[in-house]
Amino acid sequence: MKKKKIGVYICHCGGNISDYVDVEKVRQAVEGEDIVFLAKTTMFACSDANQREMVNDIEANGLTSVVVASCSPKLHLLTFRNVSQRANLNKYTYVHANIREQASWAHSDNKIGATEKAIHLVKAAIAKANYAEALESNKVKAQKSVAIIGAGVAGMKAAISLSNKDCEVILIEKEPFVGGRVAQWNSLSTTTETGKEIVKRLYDDLITRDNITICTNSEVISNKGSVGNFTLKIKTTPRYIRQSFHPEDLTRAIEVCPVSVPDEFNFRLTQRKAIYKNYPGEYPQTPVIDIKNCTRCGACEKVCPAVDFNEKEEITEITVGSVLMATGFDPYTPGYGEFGYATSENVITLPQFKRLIDEQSGTLVYKGKVIKNIAYIYCVGSRQTKGDNTYCSRNCCTSTIHAAVTAKSKFPDINNFHFNRGLRTYGKQEILYADSLRSGDIYLQSYEDGLPTVTIEGNKTIVKINDILTNGKEIEVEADLVVLVTGMVPRADNKVGTLFKLPKGRDKFYNEIHMKLRPVETVIDGVTIAGACQGPKNIAESVNSALSAATKSYSIISKGELESEPLVAIIDQDKCTWCGACEKACPFDAILKVEDKGKIVAEINNSVCKGCGMCAPVCEPDAINVTACSSTEIMSMIDTLV
Amino acid sequence: MAKINPSFGKELKKYGAINFNACYNCGNCTAVCSLSTEDVSFPREMVRVSTLGLEDEIQSSLKPWECYYCGECSTHCPQEANPGELMMSLRRYLTAKYDWTGLSGLMYKSLPLTISAFVLSLIGVLYFAFSVNFDLEKMVHWGHLFEMIAIGTVGFVILLPNVARMWWLTILKPGTKVPFKKYVSSIGELIVHMFTQKRALGCDDNQLRWFEHFIMVIGYLSLLFTTVFLNWFSSEYLIVTLFGYLVSTIVFVVTFDFVLSRIKKKKQISKHSQPSDWFFVIWLFLMGLSAFMVRLFIDLDLLESNKWLYLVHLTVLVQWALIIVPFGKWTHFLYRSFAMYFAKLKA
Repeated sequence: MKKKKIGVYICHCGGNISDYVDVEKVRQAVEGEDIVFLAKTTMFACSDANQREMVNDIEANGLTSVVVASCSPKLHLLTFRNVSQRANLNKYTYVHANIREQASWAHSDNKIGATEKAIHLVKAAIAKANYAEALESNKVKAQKSVAIIGAGVAGMKAAISLSNKDCEVILIEKEPFVGGRVAQWNSLSTTTETGKEIVKRLYDDLITRDNITICTNSEVISNKGSVGNFTLKIKTTPRYIRQSFHPEDLTRAIEVCPVSVPDEFNFRLTQRKAIYKNYPGEYPQTPVIDIKNCTRCGACEKVCPAVDFNEKEEITEITVGSVLMATGFDPYTPGYGEFGYATSENVITLPQFKRLIDEQSGTLVYKGKVIKNIAYIYCVGSRQTKGDNTYCSRNCCTSTIHAAVTAKSKFPDINNFHFNRGLRTYGKQEILYADSLRSGDIYLQSYEDGLPTVTIEGNKTIVKINDILTNGKEIEVEADLVVLVTGMVPRADNKVGTLFKLPKGRDKFYNEIHMKLRPVETVIDGVTIAGACQGPKNIAESVNSALSAATKSYSIISKGELESEPLVAIIDQDKCTWCGACEKACPFDAILKVEDKGKIVAEINNSVCKGCGMCAPVCEPDAINVTACSSTEIMSMIDTLV
Repeated sequence: MAKINPSFGKELKKYGAINFNACYNCGNCTAVCSLSTEDVSFPREMVRVSTLGLEDEIQSSLKPWECYYCGECSTHCPQEANPGELMMSLRRYLTAKYDWTGLSGLMYKSLPLTISAFVLSLIGVLYFAFSVNFDLEKMVHWGHLFEMIAIGTVGFVILLPNVARMWWLTILKPGTKVPFKKYVSSIGELIVHMFTQKRALGCDDNQLRWFEHFIMVIGYLSLLFTTVFLNWFSSEYLIVTLFGYLVSTIVFVVTFDFVLSRIKKKKQISKHSQPSDWFFVIWLFLMGLSAFMVRLFIDLDLLESNKWLYLVHLTVLVQWALIIVPFGKWTHFLYRSFAMYFAKLKA
């Protein structure tokens, strides 16, 4: 090995370091080291002037690496790596010593001790620099394609956005029809367009695009690989109806189907057949046979030749560069007896109510009874004081008021009573609240410690509250219908999230890396999140996040090649005996079990490994090294320190 | 326990309430109100009970009378819910509720009915004039007699029972226990407020309005006293004659300004006039003016040849005494002062 020529720079950091650490003494202590070619102190190592001086020093003296003793590497490691690079050194030969957080600030009561510690830290860094190797970043080929999971409004909008780029899109929807929750709504707030019209508009756009493949009735069942190259297996359940069908035959087929199951599209308010379509203009236009509930009686086959029970389940394998999750939410289901839910037949949830008012006209009737007084109880399943859902579901205040205003304009005889805990019709949605007040809706408010109560007296449902807007007076409403304003919860079915090991936050929704600065990325490289699977969002917010997730997913794969830091673990496959300890220790699933020369050994997936080093200490035969933190480097540092 | 009555809002709108259910309970109105106190807080609270339609709460409350309508609340309301006008409407509503005959409510809510009453009074006067062959002396004599009888009857048959009802609704029914001694010791409150309306001085920037109103009340009471008890139109005393001129002038000059400001709608309080407000100010103006003219014509010896003038005055007088005083806005003179008295009893 060629003898190293190292330059050492010891920073005053104004006085942050030099007030407690005798920087000159540190300089003198390291100056005499064999491999140290020059040692300098500087007022601010990070200043432009000093950076220029460093570049000159390196180039003029042919230094092989540089050590800066200054602040935390979090602050300036990259700064000095770049200085090295500018002076034509490999940037990974740079070594950083932290003598501010670890010496001067930590030991401001003991100047001599602080100085002594700083000397040790700098010497250790020099020892490491002696072994620091030049490293090149890893390059992996990346597929220029994105799988979008969930064809709700977020998924569809993301697909359209990605298809405008040079990118293949595979849109995977578990349900037989696209549109997700938005397809379930008719009128929407702050727009005159209905949910169904929005879905239609998006779908009409989607199908004109050659680079989008839509897979409905399809689920991802396995995931291998990593950013740039995710290999996904997709299971597609057949519709059991051929695409070319005669609409009248099909209508008859639906008529003759003897099966009746609760219709999830109407939140179980109504029943549907086993062969069904949720609403006339739904996409794709081919209906579907719900094979789980189908009795195979064959009645439909007789009247409709397009029915084909021979269609088979298909498994497709695709490889994509990035995955965009847009799996949406479930509405909260109240517990048994929660505000009379399931114990009183006059109590329904907001999604059910929205379907109810969509379905009816003329007079509002529920279970044979004409509805006049409607009590809305807010924050059911959100902002819980007892329970896990401490978050606010954001959209429900607006959604309720919108539903109440819509109901009132459709059924002018009704009275709306809103039992709320403070309204959050933020932004432009405030107009809706004002409209509702003007149309005579009555708002009653309580804090979380005085929630309204629902009691059933005979066939009357009484809602009581100590209204804080009326001096805490107890006020009651005899409600014909109680609507529980249920918030959003994560999808109960989280199989796909588990496949990708997506981390969840305290609210149990998928978690982003940084709420403000990296809002659509996850810690799983290459997987982005959009829409309400990340947390409660309204349609506009879902679309916003979908567009940004699409951009982010594309930016990862846009070059067709991924470059990653060379700081990864390396397996010495001669030493490895495959005990599996490293695989268990790895938090990123970067260790693969492979066969090499007839022997089972571990292998590192470089595009996933983050060089965290969790695997190295658990390896008994010492077969694992982490680049830039090799055993030699670390041992040499320890030797210096002790 | 209280039950909500959402249809109450519609009822209140017939009394002139505007848009009060737009209130989102920010409380700005109460914060800017210079008469509202921590113990007696309004108008938000009254807006709230009105929205919920808690009629018992409203009927037992004296708060509507404790507001003297400066209009600051309506000016500052971010929802344009018009709390000031709501308080005004509540006063009309309460007037209707206090009235045992129920006629006040009918007239507040129906303009055609009010107009019919005015027309009927006119026919009555013409019939009377016809029956005495338009004999001026007889007409003046009976006119004067009518005034005395009307004051007595309206006072004892309508107004006194109504004040008693107010007392029942606000003190007895809510179960407030007031020792008899307190009734006696607080009586000063009634007198002071009746003749000075001093609480209105508590309203911000309202000194001129208070002064106008104050001299108008004094002028009106003096005119009443002069015409009824000093028999102004037949008086021989110069001092009485001159005093009559003075007070009737005060009445029509001040009310002219009131009418004008309701036409101009510049101030918050004069923006939303109900028929009852118009009748009140216009008839008061006509009373002052016609009385002034009648006496002037007497002094100039012109009345005999201009009997119509007296008939105009008599019509205005009859309509005033039989409609506006018992069933119209006049009663606020009584209810406001009794409200201050009852509030003192409750405190």
